[in-house]
Amino acid sequence: MSRLSDWFSERVPISGDQLRELTNEPVPNHLKRWWFALGGTPAYLFVVQIITGILLAFYYQPTASTAYESVRYITEDASFGWYLRSLHKWAATLMIASVILHQLRVYFTGAYRRPRELNWVIGMCLLMCTLLTGFTGYSLAFEQLSYWGATVAANISDAVPLVGSFAKQMLLAGDGYNDRTLSRFYIMHAAVLPTTIIMLVAVHIMFIRLHGVTELRFEDEPADQPRHFNFFPDHILTELSIGLVLMILLSALATIFPATMGPQADPQTTPEVIKPEWFFYVSFRWLKLFSLTFAVISTGFIVGAMFVWPWIDRALVKATGIKEISVYIGIVGTLLLIGLTVWEAVATH
Amino acid sequence: MTVKTKQLIIGVLGFAFLGSLIFVQAMEVARRRQEAGLSPHPIAVPAASKSCVECHDKSSPGIIDHWEGSTHAIKGVGCVECHLAQKTDADAFDHYGATIATIVTPKDCGRCHKTETEEFMASHHAKAGNILASLDNFLAETVEGHREPFNPHSPTPGHDVDLVNGMASVNVGCKQCHGSKVALLANDGGLITVDDLKPDDSGRPTNSEALARIKKDDNGAPLLDTSAWPNTGIGRLNLDGSLGSCSACHSRHDFSPRRARQPENCGKCHLGPDHPQKEIYEESKHGVAFRDLKEHMNLDAHDWVLGEDYTQAPTCATCHMSGHSRNGGRVTHDPGERISWSNRPPISIVMDTDAKGAVIKEKDPELRQKLIASTWQEKRQAMKNVCLHCHTPKYVNAFYSQYDDFVVNYNEKFAKPGQKIMDVLHEQELITNAEFDEEIEWTWFYLWHHEGRRARHGASMMAPDYAHWHGMFEVAERFYQELIPQARELVHHAEEAGQTAQAEAVDQVIEDVLARPEHQWYESAKKLVEAGKASLVEPPPAAVAPDAVDSPANATPAATDDAATPAADAAKADTAKADDTADPATEKKADGGTDTPPDA
Amino acid sequence: MADDRSGQDSHHAGSDRRAFLNQTSSVVMCGGLAAGYGTLAYQVGKFLYPADAGKGVWQFVCTLEQLAVGESLPFTMPSGAKVVVARQTEGDTADAFVALSSICPHLGCQVHWEAVNERFFCPCHNGAFDANGKATLGPPAKANQQLTRFPLQVEGNLLLIEVPLDSITITPSEGTA
Repeated sequence: MSRLSDWFSERVPISGDQLRELTNEPVPNHLKRWWFALGGTPAYLFVVQIITGILLAFYYQPTASTAYESVRYITEDASFGWYLRSLHKWAATLMIASVILHQLRVYFTGAYRRPRELNWVIGMCLLMCTLLTGFTGYSLAFEQLSYWGATVAANISDAVPLVGSFAKQMLLAGDGYNDRTLSRFYIMHAAVLPTTIIMLVAVHIMFIRLHGVTELRFEDEPADQPRHFNFFPDHILTELSIGLVLMILLSALATIFPATMGPQADPQTTPEVIKPEWFFYVSFRWLKLFSLTFAVISTGFIVGAMFVWPWIDRALVKATGIKEISVYIGIVGTLLLIGLTVWEAVATH
Repeated sequence: MTVKTKQLIIGVLGFAFLGSLIFVQAMEVARRRQEAGLSPHPIAVPAASKSCVECHDKSSPGIIDHWEGSTHAIKGVGCVECHLAQKTDADAFDHYGATIATIVTPKDCGRCHKTETEEFMASHHAKAGNILASLDNFLAETVEGHREPFNPHSPTPGHDVDLVNGMASVNVGCKQCHGSKVALLANDGGLITVDDLKPDDSGRPTNSEALARIKKDDNGAPLLDTSAWPNTGIGRLNLDGSLGSCSACHSRHDFSPRRARQPENCGKCHLGPDHPQKEIYEESKHGVAFRDLKEHMNLDAHDWVLGEDYTQAPTCATCHMSGHSRNGGRVTHDPGERISWSNRPPISIVMDTDAKGAVIKEKDPELRQKLIASTWQEKRQAMKNVCLHCHTPKYVNAFYSQYDDFVVNYNEKFAKPGQKIMDVLHEQELITNAEFDEEIEWTWFYLWHHEGRRARHGASMMAPDYAHWHGMFEVAERFYQELIPQARELVHHAEEAGQTAQAEAVDQVIEDVLARPEHQWYESAKKLVEAGKASLVEPPPAAVAPDAVDSPANATPAATDDAATPAADAAKADTAKADDTADPATEKKADGGTDTPPDA
Repeated sequence: MADDRSGQDSHHAGSDRRAFLNQTSSVVMCGGLAAGYGTLAYQVGKFLYPADAGKGVWQFVCTLEQLAVGESLPFTMPSGAKVVVARQTEGDTADAFVALSSICPHLGCQVHWEAVNERFFCPCHNGAFDANGKATLGPPAKANQQLTRFPLQVEGNLLLIEVPLDSITITPSEGTA
């Protein structure tokens, strides 16, 4: 036994204490409350996505002629294929939802303020990557809705001034959806975006480690209580149980609402009702409200503003003198977000 | 929360996760089980047919899709196995390297389905193509059309018509059920059929002169004449000498047994005014039950044995063809095997059949006995064995008693007297030998061919409305209100034309018929008024009786065994004469033609 | 004994219990994690294992009359591979027939029937097999190898062969399913 551990420690020259030192970032007490652990949830779901995604890639074929059939094979023929595909689909939904919730929490607690502005920007990048991954993944099934969703999205990007047509060409590998489009989506979805996300997450976490997590104190906490607890094993255990709860939740969703097969993509027939995935409902409704150009430019403006919000916020506070101005704006924005999403969800056209 | 509690919670959650995965496993198992029942069997395109499938999947995907759903596909039987032809075959041609023929005949199917083909060949179905000299064919070729092409009346704007094809009605009507005589175009403009090719037993043509005359298109393929193809009539006369077409019932290219088991399959031909078997079945309790319980009838079962795979309701196939628990599940492809009455001719006859499966018409009891290979009683027993799956023996026997009585009543009250009147009109030359040129010939045809069959088929398959209102009521109306008046009018005309003897001979027959007790009601009141007397109807003259009782020994099943009774003996001298005339020209033509498979 | 000990040192027993509890919760946690994620791993394994593995389809070869005793005929599998089907004895059961792959088990070359020597011969390394597919010469004989036999089945008067399903399935399109 000791021989074995000797052999091992000789080759991996790190002691348990050092390891603990490295990983054991003291975790502030407020993280014992689950809504502060929302950042860990998308991370866990991201791991689920990587694993199920790799598994699905064993059977998926990214060509226009075989994509639909290979998805059908996964869903209908392969053992547990329907379950893994449903896991992937539901984990994606939950991941985007939790990313948004995490961001709302950061926003409303003002955790993006000095000195953490850059981490907010990285978080925004992560949000964009997540949404793009969702979009490209949805297109891979090559169903009617996903095909036309992609077509519409490409034509929207065409409306962006100056870079629009270039973006569309880059997205579709041509003027329209063609034989090479699907492999482009696939490599974005399965390689480029996940790698980017991993790197961004690494930077994101590094920033957290460098700054420390924003500490908050709650009134019901006794004053003499230690302000931190241990990352290992305490916080890890919390994350483990959150992970298991998520797995159970995903399994339940996957069995109750399994991913199904829509009709195969048909470039000749546009379906009566086309809708993107739910997380694009907002922008889809926005597009319907205004002219294409205005909608595209305003969307770009809003997203841009979100990226640099920490500085806009500071300028606004300085200008107005209202310290909670971002909260008010946030409430309006969130209500608008929910309102547009619900509107699009219930609208039939 | 302590670390320990957290660990315990994680443990519990882990097992909860296991629970949800067990549920996933259960769903997977359920899905597999459901799929095993629903999903098609895996199939592989046989190497020899690979290029056929690849090309036809683009040019005519329907036939490939159908084939993919067939048992042939599951067993790896592809295109060439059936379409394969010998270079020496008259209709063979080279199709991208494979020698094939368009028409697949029972001989081709029989390479694998031997028993089925033999049974079919023995059936009346296979002989349905011999309608060339029949009454029905005369109707379609001459009455409805014209045997030779004729000139149009006037131009058809937008469509050039040089000549009218008078055989159109035969090609589209008669032949599509009965089957065509498959013909190839000849270089001299004529046609080449099985008669010219004189094929041997293996189906290979022996007449090289005819082979040499076959016209070929640019690709070297022989051309099928459109008078005979497309055609899947059940009695098709094929170039290889075989009779029939299996795809009449087993439609290509999926050859679905499920479809052949359903009444709609038979309904392509067995319907309409002259033999509405399909409609009769639909109105019967049997058809009603089928419509209701179809989903539970296991129509996809491999063998579909009555009493094992299903009992909910019978279809046409159930009673006439399919296997059942009392015959070891043996299917027959001769639907006549369980039929005891042939209700096809004007006068119903019992289904004693000879070695070739033909209904015996011989009337001499001894000769008849020698010819019989299978008696009508055996056939009835075969049918009863089907009935017994749902009915008691008493019920079945009582049904047959009702059915026999009905057929005999039709035969004796209307069919035989009607036949007698038609015969004497021919004999005395009050009508010509040409068919359908006198009103009374149409009347008589309606009476037995349409109404008489509707009545008998209605009785055979338990549809009371067809037996009565669409059947016997109309038979009676036709008889009393048209046949008798029209016959009398012919007598009247003859008298006026001075043909007194002929007129009297016919009139005697008519009066003899009407004087019989079963017809007396018709004119008794009128005669009473005419005579102006109180005396009631005179008893019928005794001398008439033997003449009018038209050889019961040959017509009623009940009497067959009584052939040697004194009554029959006494009548022999008279019946012998009557027998000769009882098989008149009309019946001969109709019988020779087998215009409909009997009763099926 | 237990009474003795607990009487003597209750403090010691308490720490025992704590240690035991500590252990139990760890065991429960590890058990739960193993049960949950282990089952998931098993299902993932099932997913990755080919669903059609070992499955075959039946293909029509010929009718029984078409193959006389002592004769053989070449059969091409849907994948294009050649199989020799021969009738060895009278009788209408599958045992009277044999279907041998023409791929040499040594290194995958194509064998062919040499009527003169009544053997299958592989030109790559001079391997030879008897009519039953048993190796008689060359490397395959040394390794005691055998030409692959395919299952046969007689249905009525039809001879059917079971061929592997891989790479040859046509998936019936939506409409026909």
